[in-house]
Amino acid sequence: MSELDDLGGVGDLGELDRPGTPGSPGAWDARSEEWLTSEPGRPAARTPAVDEASPADKPAPAAAHRTTTATPPRTTPRRSQGTPTPRRTAADPVKALMHRHRELCERAVDPLEIAAGLEAHGVTDRTATRFRHRDVFSLAEEMYARASRDGDSPAPAAPPEPPRTRADWALLTLLPGALSAATLTGIHFTDGRPRLITAAVGTLAVALALRAALTRGPLSTTHPTHPRTRTLTCWLIAYALLGDGLLRQAITGGPDTLPTGTTDATWPTAGAPALALALSLAPAAWTAHLLTTRARRKLTASRGLEDFAAAVHPLLLGAFALYLSTLAALLALTATALDEPAPYAQTMTLGALLYLSRLLTTHGFTHAPALVLTVTATAQATALATTFASRLPGCDALGTPVTTLVDTWGPGAVPTLACGVGAATLLLHATRRLTRASAHATTDLQW
Amino acid sequence: MRIGLLTEGGYPYVSGDARLWCDRLVRGLDQHEFDIYALSRSRRQEDEGWVTLPPQVSRVRTAPLWTVEDDGIAHGRRARRRFAEHYGELAAVLCAGPSEEASTAEADRFGSALYGLAELARDEGGLSGALRSETAVRALERACRTPGAPRAARAARVPDLLAVAGHLERALRPLTLDWYEDDGLGSVDLCHAASGGPAALPGLLARHFSGVPLLVTEYGVQLRTHHLSATEASPSVRALLAAFHGRLAAEVYARAAVITPGNAHARRWQERCGADRDKIRTVYPGMDATRFAEVGESPECADPDTLAWVGRVEPTKDLISLLHAFAEVRKEEPKTRLRIIGVPAGSEGAAYLGHCKALAAQLFPDEADGLHAVGDNPVSFEEIGGPDIPSPAEAYASGAVTVLSSVVEGFPISLVESMFCGRATVSTDVGAVVEVIGGTGLVVPPRNPRALAEACVALLRDPERRARLGAAARARALELFTVEQNITAFHSIYLEIVSRHPVRRVVLDDTTGEPRPFAVPAEAHMPGRWTGPAARVVARGGPGWAAGPPVRANTPLPATEAAR
Repeated sequence: MSELDDLGGVGDLGELDRPGTPGSPGAWDARSEEWLTSEPGRPAARTPAVDEASPADKPAPAAAHRTTTATPPRTTPRRSQGTPTPRRTAADPVKALMHRHRELCERAVDPLEIAAGLEAHGVTDRTATRFRHRDVFSLAEEMYARASRDGDSPAPAAPPEPPRTRADWALLTLLPGALSAATLTGIHFTDGRPRLITAAVGTLAVALALRAALTRGPLSTTHPTHPRTRTLTCWLIAYALLGDGLLRQAITGGPDTLPTGTTDATWPTAGAPALALALSLAPAAWTAHLLTTRARRKLTASRGLEDFAAAVHPLLLGAFALYLSTLAALLALTATALDEPAPYAQTMTLGALLYLSRLLTTHGFTHAPALVLTVTATAQATALATTFASRLPGCDALGTPVTTLVDTWGPGAVPTLACGVGAATLLLHATRRLTRASAHATTDLQW
Repeated sequence: MRIGLLTEGGYPYVSGDARLWCDRLVRGLDQHEFDIYALSRSRRQEDEGWVTLPPQVSRVRTAPLWTVEDDGIAHGRRARRRFAEHYGELAAVLCAGPSEEASTAEADRFGSALYGLAELARDEGGLSGALRSETAVRALERACRTPGAPRAARAARVPDLLAVAGHLERALRPLTLDWYEDDGLGSVDLCHAASGGPAALPGLLARHFSGVPLLVTEYGVQLRTHHLSATEASPSVRALLAAFHGRLAAEVYARAAVITPGNAHARRWQERCGADRDKIRTVYPGMDATRFAEVGESPECADPDTLAWVGRVEPTKDLISLLHAFAEVRKEEPKTRLRIIGVPAGSEGAAYLGHCKALAAQLFPDEADGLHAVGDNPVSFEEIGGPDIPSPAEAYASGAVTVLSSVVEGFPISLVESMFCGRATVSTDVGAVVEVIGGTGLVVPPRNPRALAEACVALLRDPERRARLGAAARARALELFTVEQNITAFHSIYLEIVSRHPVRRVVLDDTTGEPRPFAVPAEAHMPGRWTGPAARVVARGGPGWAAGPPVRANTPLPATEAAR
């Protein structure tokens, strides 16, 4: 019969039988004695806070301190033989009651809360009549009105436990970089069919590692990601590897051969940017982690939504800048190591684009990243397609814009432009969306 | 009739609250069809599965209230504006403060904001994203910063606003369910919410969308439970959520056709929260009386010198007081024994039981009949299920007088059981004790061992009075607290509600096309089940003999007159 049990007995009842200390010195004067003796026929039910137990009594569990001798006589004939300890009652019984339930009174935000708390401590309507009230509700209202909530400035909530830096995601974010490096080394030292196999296996391994790294830690997301996003990301990285070479070949009439995986082939592969991007997953995760923890701290500290937005704005830009500078350093390093030219412009813009899109996805904004990635990838694909299409008879004009662009700034101009515009759009979007408090709400709130 | 039974964390889940009562109700009213709409409270509850459902349950629809889900629905500009308007209104009402004179207007605003959000969810799909969005948080902030907002609300900080928005999202999740279509709650004749709060919200919406009358049963007042359970959050969060739950309760009570509290205590809370007195019918919870029939009909089997206490051992039962009282009793009647029968509730209860045993050993030395006999303690601690007490009935049967010494009590089940057993009782004046016992037992103030002792001694010395009181108690319990009483009361309340509401589905005559009056009877008795989805239409529009006269209509409500 669990349905019947929920009326009483809820709440902490430890307070119920604790030895009460006098509520206030004023309650123990002659007036209270007088009041008591003027009503000799009162039922012997105790008034709170005037328990006969002295404060020196040890706080025995439950009601152990009470003894029958202290219980007053109920009927007149017994009064002579019982121990005539008169019950002392406070002049202001409600005050004593409030003292006893002071925590409840200070905490309450509603008279009904006090009423519920009192009832859980055994106060009934019949008890309330002793406090000259018709029912518990009106008693609770008086207590609510009289409770001093002056010192009620809510203590600033303790900042939430920052998400623990755990070894699992920290290690996982290093994995794609390590695997990429291994793959590139493998490609460097092999030739022919083994090189092809190494490249295929390496790509697969890096993709799996990337996937694993993104399911955990600060870059993971509980929101359903857009189905396109993954494909588009793969395309963008593939373009960074092979796109520039292909475009150059397309303009000069090629490609005549397949890429060999080296920079000095006719269709060169840019290993350094891909390796730098893979390695930059670790700083990306760390900066995202930094952003999350700092934003949570700001969240507890700020009074209003505007304050919070103002405080998070520099944080977001700082994290972004930190990531970009780490990426630049990594690119310089990998370019030196692989002895390749460092295509800063297109790598930095691509890194920025991917970083921002992941950051937005992590915070639940999946629509804009998917859209921007689609536009960027389409722009790159269009550049290639128009170049090839210009070879068709009568379609020369189609290739002119790309050819002009490549002639002026080199083949890297196409991805730089596409990713740059995309990254700028996402940065603008992120400064508006990620500075909102709702983006940083923890969803683990329990009912 | 087709009844939509609305539960939250209850029936039909195995671990649900009030599942026993719901199960008896559904099984007892097999002339009606039941559709169950259940909101589950946790994954564990869902994993534990359902109880076996009787055939009159024609469908069960469930929805989780615990998932963190993002439906990914992005609203258009117009929908966003509508949402901002309604949510802003809702937030403004929550921060309006409890000014008495404007309460009707505020209640109207709350209702219109709630139904506005529900209509938006119906037109545009899921609200869960919107309810957690910046728009929502901003609306809350604006409302909290309005001059005149309560102080606790004005002090709300950003995390508080987020917490409130998250809580409201969960509380308002029933708004986005697809239960309110014509094949769902739109097709039932009556919504019966098994508790207030979130369970009644679908009923409110069904009433709003399709005009289905709503019956709300509360054995424990949901608002009170909320106040007792929400103690950890910051004051601002608690203030806003208390306002929300208070307003929701008021709206539920205002819109419900009939409200049935389980006892006078729940009734007082409901009246306090704005329930109209005319709508309230107290329906006492029903208990299975057959288990106690044998004991109840043979009062002579009791040991005339034994007091019995039966229940769960916990500090609120104040067994210490009982032991002290028993010491007093022993001074007057040295042959008396006390049997304390029950299991401890939790670790706190176990510690308390240990303490009580120690005190009993201290107060009462072991006694024996003579110098050569082995003695034992006059106070014995036992558990139900042992060899001499196989069931609760034997526990009550063992004593001539049943004692209840609690300082806090809800609806005292052990007292009712003891009444079923026809035992004279001495109880403390707590909770619903006086309401339950009426004039059929002795009542003393709580925490007064001497008064308790005197009452016990009076009954122990007067077997005739004991028998009289026991018989009266048994008669009273059989009148008020049986399962049949409960089911009959709900049956007549169903008929009463339906009789006061217009027929919502009219059966048209096949030949003339005119509506046929009385074609849909409120209840029909047929041999066997005919309520398959296909057979149903035929039966409703079918021959007149299918419409048997309602057998138990117009039964006076015993519960109403019993409620003080």
